[in-house]
Amino acid sequence: MTAPDAPPHVAVRRVSKRYGPLTVLDRVDLTVDRGELVTLLGPSGCGKTTLLRLVAGLATPEEGTIAIAGRDVTRVPPHRRNVGVVFQSYALFPHLTVAGNVAFGLSVRGRRRDEIDRAVARTLSLVRLEHLGARRVSALSGGQQQRVALARALAVEPEVLLFDEALSALDRNLREEMQVELRRLLREIGATAIFVTHDQDEALTMSDRIAVMNGGRIEQLADPKTLYERPATLFTLGFVGQSTRLRGTVAAAGDGMVAVDTPVGRVAAMGQFLAGSSVVVATRPEHLRVVADTVGHEGSDRARNSVDGRIRAVIFQGSRSRIEVAAGDQVLLAEAPGRIASALNPGDAARLVWPVAETFAYPDPEARA
Amino acid sequence: MTARLAIGFAWLAALAAVLFLAVPLLTVVAASVSPTPVFDLPLEGASLRWYARIGRLDGFWPALSLSLQIALLSTAIALVIGTLAAIAIVRGRLPGAETLATALVSPLMMPGLVLGIALLQYFRAVGFTATWSALLLAHLVVTLPYVARTMIAGLALFDFTLVEAARTLGCTYAGAILRVMVPALAPSFLTAGLFSFLASFDNYPVSIFLTDVRTKTLPIKMLQYIEEAPDPTLAALSTLILAATVILLVASDRLIGLHRMAGTSE
Ligand SMILES: Nc1ncnc2c1ncn2[C@@H]1O[C@H](COP(=O)(O)OP(=O)(O)OP(=O)(O)O)[C@@H](O)[C@H]1O
Ligand SMILES: [Mg+2]
Repeated sequence: MTAPDAPPHVAVRRVSKRYGPLTVLDRVDLTVDRGELVTLLGPSGCGKTTLLRLVAGLATPEEGTIAIAGRDVTRVPPHRRNVGVVFQSYALFPHLTVAGNVAFGLSVRGRRRDEIDRAVARTLSLVRLEHLGARRVSALSGGQQQRVALARALAVEPEVLLFDEALSALDRNLREEMQVELRRLLREIGATAIFVTHDQDEALTMSDRIAVMNGGRIEQLADPKTLYERPATLFTLGFVGQSTRLRGTVAAAGDGMVAVDTPVGRVAAMGQFLAGSSVVVATRPEHLRVVADTVGHEGSDRARNSVDGRIRAVIFQGSRSRIEVAAGDQVLLAEAPGRIASALNPGDAARLVWPVAETFAYPDPEARA
Repeated sequence: MTARLAIGFAWLAALAAVLFLAVPLLTVVAASVSPTPVFDLPLEGASLRWYARIGRLDGFWPALSLSLQIALLSTAIALVIGTLAAIAIVRGRLPGAETLATALVSPLMMPGLVLGIALLQYFRAVGFTATWSALLLAHLVVTLPYVARTMIAGLALFDFTLVEAARTLGCTYAGAILRVMVPALAPSFLTAGLFSFLASFDNYPVSIFLTDVRTKTLPIKMLQYIEEAPDPTLAALSTLILAATVILLVASDRLIGLHRMAGTSE
C-alpha cells in the first residue's frame, strides 16, 4: 500500500498536554501512514479526545511536535491544517441544509459556485444521501446525520480524517452496519484516519492498527491481531478481550520461558523474568480446553498447562458458552462451543488444558507498588 | 367525567382570560374610528379623521423621533453588551457566574419607579445633565436585562462544538463566530432585540424622571395629550402602535416562531 520508506502522513512526537496540574497526555508518540486507519482505544478520561484535538489544532501541546504530510503544524491554527473532523455530536450547522453543511468548508475556501455544487453532489452520493441535499439537518435520523457529518468532513478533501466516537450515538445494529460501511468507504478513497473509540469490538473491526491508551500514554500500538494475541501489557490484555489470570512467583526461568508457582499449581508461560519475581500469568479463555474427565493422562508437560477444578457456572452466550471453573480459591474462565458446553454441568469435576505458547507472564503491578 | 369537567372549566377560564386581555385593545381600536369626539357605544358610523390629526398633535414628531432613537440605540448597545456578558457567564467558567447573571437581570424585577428615582439621583450626584444621553443610559438599564436573559438562555443551549467544527473546516475563530454562532443564535438575537425595543419604546416610569420640557418621549407626550384634550386622536395613535407591534410580531413569527419567543414551547 505505502512505500516502505514513505514518511508517516501524521507524526505525533513526544507530545505532552497539561490542564493545570493534570497531565492529560504524557510524551505520546504516534504515527499514521498514508491511507491507514489508526484507532485510539482506551477507557474514559485516558486522553483520546485530547490527542485528537491536538492533531486537529483545537488545542496546543506544551511539549512535542505534530506533523501532517511532512509539515510541522504544532503551532498552526485549525483552519490552516486541512483536517476533517467528525464529532460525536456531529456538530451539524442547524441553520443550513444538508447540502449547505457539506458545502461549508468549500465556500469558506472561496471555491466557485459550480465547483462547490459538483463537489457536494459527489460527496453526498459517496455517503448515499444524494436525495436529501435540500433537507434541514434537524429533519434527519441519527444515521443520516452521521453521514452528513462525514460528508462535510470529506468534502474539503482533508489530509487526515479525525473521528471522535463518531458512531457511539447510533444504536447497536446501525452502528455495526456503519462500521463496515465506513471502513469500506475510507479504504475506497484511501483516506488517512484517526478514529477514537472506547468500544473494543469497533476498534478490532475497523482498524489497521490500534493504539491502546491508558492514563495519557500509549500502552501498545499494533495491528488488531497482534494486539489480541500478543498483548504487551496486562492493561492491554484486560482492555481488549477477555482473559484468565493467575498470580504467582517465578520458580524457574530460562529460554524466554518461566515456570510460575500459582495457587493452583505450577504453570509454564512465555516471558523473561528472574526467579523470585512476582508475576501474573494470563491467557485467552478460548485457549482453555475443558476436559470433563479428570482421571485421564492429559497432565502438564512442556507444551501444555493443566489445572484440575470444578465447574462453577456455564453461561450461554449464543454460539459459544463461557465456563467458569473453580480451582482452589481461583476462578478460571474458559470458553467452549455450544456443542461441548451443553455436556458440562455446574458441580462437575473438570480439567483445564491450554498451550504454554498462548500463556504469557506479566510483571505483577500490585507486587511492585 | 370529573376530568372532562375540569378540562372544560380550564378552557372557559382560558377563554375568559383572553377576552379580558383583548377587550381593552379592541375598545381602543373601536374608539379610534369613532365619528364623534366623545366615544360612545354603540358606534354610529366610522371615521378616519382622528388618524389624520395624529401628525398635527403638538410636538408629536419630535417625541416619536426621540422614542425611536432611544429605543433603537439602546437596543443595539444592549445587544452587543448583553451578548458579550452572556458569553462570559455561560462560557467563562467564572466563579460566581450565577450571581453575576442574577445581578444582570435584576432590573427586570425592580419597579420602574424605583429605577427612575435612583437614576435621577445618581445622575444629579455625578453632575450628568444631558437629557438625551441620560435617557439613553437609563433605557440601557431597562433593555440590558431583557437581552442578557434571552442571550444567556440561548447560549446555554448553543453547542460550542459548532464553532470548533467551523474552524476545522477553514474558518478563523472570528469567522466561525460570524458564520456559525451568529446565524444559529439569530432567533435569540431577534427575540432579545424585539423585547428590548418594545420595553424601551413604551417605557414610562423610568423616562418620566429624566425628561425635560423640550425632550419628551412618546409615552410621556401621550399622557400629556390625554390630560389636555381627551379625544379619539390618542386612540388612533394607540391603534397604530398596536398595529405596528402586531406586524413586528407576525414578521418575527414568520422568521422564528412566536411560541419560541414567548417561551411556551421547546
Ligand atoms: N479543557 C479541559 N480542561 C481541563 N481538563 C480537561 C480539559 N479537557 C480534558 N480534560 C481532562 O483531560 C482528561 C482526558 O480527557 P479526554 O477528553 O481526552 O478523555 P477521553 O479519553 O476522550 O475520555 P472519554 O472516553 O470520556 O471521551 C480528563 O481527565 C479530562 O477531565
Ligand atoms: Mg472523548
